[in-house]
Amino acid sequence: MRLLTKTTLYFLTAMTVLLIIAGYYLFSRFSWELNRKSDQELLQEEVVWIKYLQNEMSRGVTVVLRAPDVSIYPVEVSGEKFPAIADINDGPGKITYRQLTQVVSVYGVSYQIILRKSQEQKAALIAYTTRIILLVFAGLLLATFLYTWLISKNLWNPFYRSLNKVRQADLQTIQNTVFEKETGTTEFNELNASLNSMTAKIQADFVNMKEFTENAAHEMQTPLSAAKSKLELLLQSEHLQGEDVQSILEASDALSRLSKLNQELLLLAKIENQQYPANQELNLNEVTKKYIGLLSELIHDKQLNITTDYANEFRVQLHPLLADTLISNLLGNAIRHNYSGGRIDISVNGNSYSISNTTHAAPIAPEKLFKRFAATSAESGSNGLGLAIVKKIADTNGLEITYEHEDGQVTLRINRK
Amino acid sequence: MKILIIEDEKALRESIQKYLEYQGHVCETAENFLTGKEKIQQFSYDCIVVDIGLPYGSGLDIVKELKDLESEAGIIIISAKNSLDDKLAGLESGSDDYITKPFHLSELNARVNAVLRRRSFGGNKIIIFHEIKLNADAQLVLVNDKAIDLTEKEYRLLEYFIVNQRRALTKNAIAAHVWGDDYEFLDNYDFIYTHIRNLRKKLVDAGSGDYIKTVYGSGYRFTDS
Repeated sequence: MRLLTKTTLYFLTAMTVLLIIAGYYLFSRFSWELNRKSDQELLQEEVVWIKYLQNEMSRGVTVVLRAPDVSIYPVEVSGEKFPAIADINDGPGKITYRQLTQVVSVYGVSYQIILRKSQEQKAALIAYTTRIILLVFAGLLLATFLYTWLISKNLWNPFYRSLNKVRQADLQTIQNTVFEKETGTTEFNELNASLNSMTAKIQADFVNMKEFTENAAHEMQTPLSAAKSKLELLLQSEHLQGEDVQSILEASDALSRLSKLNQELLLLAKIENQQYPANQELNLNEVTKKYIGLLSELIHDKQLNITTDYANEFRVQLHPLLADTLISNLLGNAIRHNYSGGRIDISVNGNSYSISNTTHAAPIAPEKLFKRFAATSAESGSNGLGLAIVKKIADTNGLEITYEHEDGQVTLRINRK
Repeated sequence: MKILIIEDEKALRESIQKYLEYQGHVCETAENFLTGKEKIQQFSYDCIVVDIGLPYGSGLDIVKELKDLESEAGIIIISAKNSLDDKLAGLESGSDDYITKPFHLSELNARVNAVLRRRSFGGNKIIIFHEIKLNADAQLVLVNDKAIDLTEKEYRLLEYFIVNQRRALTKNAIAAHVWGDDYEFLDNYDFIYTHIRNLRKKLVDAGSGDYIKTVYGSGYRFTDS
């Protein structure tokens, strides 16, 4: 729920409670006032009636009066000092009456006096008060909605502008994301100032991290190079035993692998940082043909039977280096994890690119397959990054890659998202 | 041929020097930008191998300096970076070749020889090893002055063998040179054997000595001894 809607609801709830209290207060005030007035009238009337009684009694007449408003009759109880006044419900339609009762003693005779006053006005009063309160409430509601609309249109505008900028912020272009300094509202100014310093920090960290990754990767190549060159010289020695040669070769291979690993991690980091913009429309069919040519010796050497079905061109916006990496990794994998005399089938149409190969390897859980180092096996000669790179390239270029393993046949398929 | 090696990592510098000298070049070395600059101003070289990342300056500025001096020397840049942009920057500065760390010394030597051949005028474009003559421009091979027919891969193999003559060359290095970097990480280099066997046969059939020797466990050596 929007903040403004929420505050409005809270406000309206509070207002409802307040208005009910106010209505009740108003009603009881008026009601009290009305009672006081009718009580005064009843008391004045009683005085008149007592005077009348005294007059009649002095003439020796016993008074008995029974009318709806007035009842006066003699009773056998002693007189009361004060009159009692109370609300009673009586008569047709249950009209509320204000009723005064007192037993007065006139010339030694006790008279019961009952005086009534209709309280019809009071019912009208309730209706009247309710109407006022409802009117005020309706007015308040209307005003609140109007205010809400105006506030959201004007007051919150800087907030929504900032929010939009945050949504569109991109790590690559974060230095262009600047939040307004002057919004006219202190809170938003503070928010924007914090956002500005945050983006500055993110940008600095991003640049830092990028530099560090690259520097670390590059600096490592020099000592690796030195070690490798020493091994190569050592290999030239005349006095080496077979075992020594083997050790030197293995050490040298390990260094090469380390260097390659390093380069691939760097490549992954660079793809993640989107340092390879998709600036060209490439035809993956052509890239595939190129790599089948480049790797033909290997395919031939492993006696692989390769079939290609280019039903249509698979064109995609991609950086050329990434297209090369994508296809060479997929094809390299299909060769590496194959067995001698196995098959590779490549089938391409406008929206899907699939490459499948025969294998003796056990199926791998798809969620594990594309993870870095998850599918590494020592004898396959892969370093566990190939498919992680493939996945990363797909993810960052609007492609989707799926994996199937059925009956000793592995299929990797690229689809458009 | 006189070569200057400008590289700050001592171990690597010495390895390069040792390897190139063994192949018959005269090498001088510089360990930082300043000594490197001093040497190119004072002496003339046929080829300069320069690392980009140097203390006190960039290898690219050495290249620029050489261009200002209108030097005829061939230039090979060594870099730790293998991105396309860096390569282009290196080649655009006027260098002849660009090699990425880590590299095989035999590969660097092949590149040095290629640059020297391209730079030199006159008859130096012919590589000669006894009765074998390679014409680098025409990719033509003569044995006892008779042309033999080699495939492109066989030609590259022979050229690599001759410039790195007498050195033990690993299958790994051979594959990377002839077939490209994609071939560097394989579990199996048997396909190289087929090509080498064919090359050997063609050479011997044409009357050349059998110079390609198998080095137990590691690879091959091209030698007349």
